[in-house]
Amino acid sequence: MTGEWIRFAAASGLLILGVGFMVAAVFGVNRFHHALNRMHAAALGDTLGLLFVILGTITMRGFSMDSLKLAMVIVFFWIASPVCSHMISRLEAMTDESLGEIMVLEKNNGVRVEQTENIKAGEKAVSKKKKQKKGGRER
Amino acid sequence: MELIQQAYTAMMTGVIVVLAVLIVISIIRSILGPGVSDRIVAVNMIGTMVIMITAIFSVMLDENYLADICLIYAMISFLGVVLFCKVYTGVYLQRKHMLADLKAIEDNLNKQAESHEHVSEEEVRQ
Repeated sequence: MTGEWIRFAAASGLLILGVGFMVAAVFGVNRFHHALNRMHAAALGDTLGLLFVILGTITMRGFSMDSLKLAMVIVFFWIASPVCSHMISRLEAMTDESLGEIMVLEKNNGVRVEQTENIKAGEKAVSKKKKQKKGGRER
Repeated sequence: MELIQQAYTAMMTGVIVVLAVLIVISIIRSILGPGVSDRIVAVNMIGTMVIMITAIFSVMLDENYLADICLIYAMISFLGVVLFCKVYTGVYLQRKHMLADLKAIEDNLNKQAESHEHVSEEEVRQ
């Protein structure tokens, strides 16, 4: 009987820890402003949240064929989730109109928009190209 | 033995209710999200939470086949996200006449730099 209660405590601890990670992920997705920042928060729930919830269910069920299947879910998801994130970040990098801008928080709660190094380099390259050609855009 | 069964049921019900509330919040985010990639991130997270709920149900209802459904749902969710990203990227690049594949990122940054330069030139003229 005591063993059962210990197993219940372990399982509920793991489940609640996993759901806590999911709460943090959803809070982060709603809190951040750019899609690349949101992916950072969503990856937390995709990895640790799913890991702890499924470890909790495996603890409840004990070792059997079904818990092996549940473990396979973790293995598959940890392989698939980085690929998903890669695809989403590629989509964001190709289609975002304000990719080179980052928001900088200042001390008195102000927000200032700055250009990243990439876009500064791009401006230099474009102005060089214009000095050489002095023409309009070729595309 | 009755007491521990009740405790398990209460705990799992609470966890499922919390996950359901989180799914509703994610659906709201996927409607509000300004860009397509925000929506895809939210939908991906809804998929993760549905997998969690299915895994918990497979233990709670003692139905073994729900573990299989969990695995298959993970695969289909992954396929959906990858396909949606590919299709949207292709349509966008073709509509904007940008270079294909990874060169599109460089192209995107260059276009932005040019538009910034135009803005600064107009400011100088004024």
